[in-house]
Amino acid sequence: MSRSAEQRRGWGFVAPALLWTLAFFVLPFAVMGAMSLATLEGRTLVWGLSLANYAELAEKAYLWRAIMVSLEITVTVTVVSVVLAYPLAWIIAFRVPARWQRLALLLAILPFWTSYVVRSYAWLLVLAREGVVNQTLMTLGLISEPVTLANTRFATVTGFVHFFVMLLTLTIYANLIQLSPNYRRAAMDLGASAFQTFRHVILPLTLPGIVTGAFLTFVLCIGDYVTPQILGGNTELTVPQVIMVQLGRRADFPLASALAIVLMAIVTVVYLLSARWLKLDRL
Amino acid sequence: MTATVSINALSHWFGDFQALSDVSLNIDAGEYVTLLGPSGCGKTTLLSVLGGFIAPTRGDVIIGGRDMTRVPPAQRPTTTMFQDYALFPHMSLRDNVGFGLRMAGRKRKERHRRAGEMLELVGLGDAQTARPHELSGGQRQRVALARALAVRPDVLLLDEPLGALDLKLRRAMQDELKDIQRQVGTTFVHVTHDQEEAMAIADRIVVMNAGRIEDEGTPARIYRAPASLFSADFMGEMNHIPARLSGGQALTPFGDIPADGPEGSRVVVCVRPEALSTTDGPLSTGPSILRDVAFFGTHIRVHLEPEAAPGRILTAHLPPDTKVSQGDTLSLSADLAAVIMFPVEE
Amino acid sequence: MRLVPWLYLGAAFVFIYLPVAALVLFSFQESNLPVPPFQGPSLRWYADILGDDDVMQALAHSLMVAAGSSAVACVLGFFAAYGLARHVLPGSAFLRGLLIAPLTVSYLIVGLGLLIVIQRAGLGLSLMTAGVGHVVINLPLCFAIIYASMGAQQQNAERAARDLGADEFRVITLVTVPMLAPAIAAAFFLSVTLSWDEFIISFLLTRFDVTLPVEIWSMLRSGLSPRLNAIGSIVFLVSVTAVLILEILVFRKRRP
Repeated sequence: MSRSAEQRRGWGFVAPALLWTLAFFVLPFAVMGAMSLATLEGRTLVWGLSLANYAELAEKAYLWRAIMVSLEITVTVTVVSVVLAYPLAWIIAFRVPARWQRLALLLAILPFWTSYVVRSYAWLLVLAREGVVNQTLMTLGLISEPVTLANTRFATVTGFVHFFVMLLTLTIYANLIQLSPNYRRAAMDLGASAFQTFRHVILPLTLPGIVTGAFLTFVLCIGDYVTPQILGGNTELTVPQVIMVQLGRRADFPLASALAIVLMAIVTVVYLLSARWLKLDRL
Repeated sequence: MTATVSINALSHWFGDFQALSDVSLNIDAGEYVTLLGPSGCGKTTLLSVLGGFIAPTRGDVIIGGRDMTRVPPAQRPTTTMFQDYALFPHMSLRDNVGFGLRMAGRKRKERHRRAGEMLELVGLGDAQTARPHELSGGQRQRVALARALAVRPDVLLLDEPLGALDLKLRRAMQDELKDIQRQVGTTFVHVTHDQEEAMAIADRIVVMNAGRIEDEGTPARIYRAPASLFSADFMGEMNHIPARLSGGQALTPFGDIPADGPEGSRVVVCVRPEALSTTDGPLSTGPSILRDVAFFGTHIRVHLEPEAAPGRILTAHLPPDTKVSQGDTLSLSADLAAVIMFPVEE
Repeated sequence: MRLVPWLYLGAAFVFIYLPVAALVLFSFQESNLPVPPFQGPSLRWYADILGDDDVMQALAHSLMVAAGSSAVACVLGFFAAYGLARHVLPGSAFLRGLLIAPLTVSYLIVGLGLLIVIQRAGLGLSLMTAGVGHVVINLPLCFAIIYASMGAQQQNAERAARDLGADEFRVITLVTVPMLAPAIAAAFFLSVTLSWDEFIISFLLTRFDVTLPVEIWSMLRSGLSPRLNAIGSIVFLVSVTAVLILEILVFRKRRP
């Protein structure tokens, strides 16, 4: 077969997926970009190259505030999740006997596969005023009045951390077990304590996996609407919540698009900052 | 810097599988010992027990006169060179080699000096800041050696250290390992499945099979006068000639050989291919047809079918200048000194 | 000290399963509030939702969207993987990146972009548009999984088949697809798991016929209810089933 015929055939195979991605991902994205430069006059949309929507982000305190809230929540969630997930992955990889590891891992991430909506609702059951935690603490006599747990940032962070601890446990575990066991043996053979082995050998070797998992956490967390909406209530709004408000009540597509672009920009910056360690192809 | 090793009645089970059964061995200080055997023979398990990575089910390990059976790897005067080298990919060669000293809390200056010396010793003195991935297989092997020696162990344990190298490099590294061992004087225990490597390098070879020691001794002794049929076969190619004892003689199709043993019992008479030659000897194949002939440089390898035993093919190595070709008829003989005999277990 | 890891493991499992346990336990609650103390067990809420046409319809919609979009994503992903792994194309690294790109964008943004385009084009929202959105998010996964499993071993088998006279169609149907069946099935079930309970894209891109998560969302406005617990438990059960099938498939692939 000639080279060009061979290539034509190859394109034939790739074309459907490529066209789908272009039509339903790239094109919408471009339109969204253009939309962010349009303005709304009354109820009519005026296309143009206006930066008014972006200027609004700086001018209107609630928009700026939403960006900060999103960032604060996302950074908190990412850090807490990594710190909690690493020991869990470590224990499953190195303490749980080999024949139970697969099962332990499967169990540790099973609830990961529930939808955001159901998972957040389930946390509401736990954290609500009449919920499991408050009732338990009251029965034990530790508190006399229910504590406000739901509709707080704490609830949002808890719901997120629950989800991402599972995701990170999976990625970090995958990283830990692909290391040759001889690295640990060699370090200990040369006199390293368990902590030194971790600090000087295992941690640096798993850093790419941690950064990759943390990046995924960041991307998924900052873009989620459901968890803060159900668990955080309306006490403070994140960017996705503000986007949904623009879409729903005001039908302000230009501003919603601008906020979406800002979210993308934040993710891009974080990507560039962590690109050195990122191994997305290793997922 | 060097120590004796004494292994007493060591047994180890992995679940139901007995990996070591009643192994005892004494190693002198400064000796180069290889543990030789097929995969699954227990040699790597034995090495792991010496290194402290496996606590044996029974028996004990004495190193330099101290009981080390339950002492963790870090506190043993041993270091291990791993089969995959386990070099830390995120550290320079200098940091890899200096790792043990760093763990011991030595100052940076001292670590760098010692790492430099060790890298010099293995011929990588000018690559101190390189990373492991920049090196070839042979160079990685040297760094692993330098790292293991940098902490001045009494005993160095090497797990198939040359296994990942190609044949030519392996032969070159054998000489180098032996040379470095002589310089540092440390006791080396080296696991391999390659009998040529074992012979090239060891003061003493320990042949293992199915969790037991089959044979131990100098390479020449084990090659020429192996203690068991397994050891005889593992050390190199061997012709097997079945025979029966009668009147103090082993009766073979190729002549009778003096032998001790119960009347009528069966034995295997063994002759190495290079022991067969055209000079006369008491064991003679008689006229035999050459089935094939191959030139090997150092010798000519032939397969011959003796008329006295049709269907039995013998292998012989003839001097390289011998003029023979396929289909020739030839008679080869062996000296009694080159013949060994093992009883057949019935 | 030896106990610390096991205590940590235990605590982690409590944290991970606490909400799930609360969800499932109080789905069997007798009374109207899914909070302690537990009264029951009772199946009344399951009977209630099984008799609720809206919920059952939404459930059927969810399954349809999940199965349909996953099938489309698998087919498109398979062909793209085959084209890129077996043919030399200019800029193939860029093409791979482009096909994977939707993975790095949050679902909200994917949904928002599609919503704008659909509205501009004057098209209506339906289960179909939600399905299109789900293909966008599942295609990268299907492509990546299938592409990753197109190793040299398969390639040699394909060459052997071609050598023995098979044309490309027969190579694909008789060699490639059967050999990659575990990976294709894994991609399909992973897609089903993600698509079946996906909320935000379905929420933005459907109107009258909705999927189950959207239905749950609208029920959430009335607060905690054992009905929601019962539906949530069913959603969880379906996801877990798909994951277990996936796990078995992956396991088989690892131990051929």
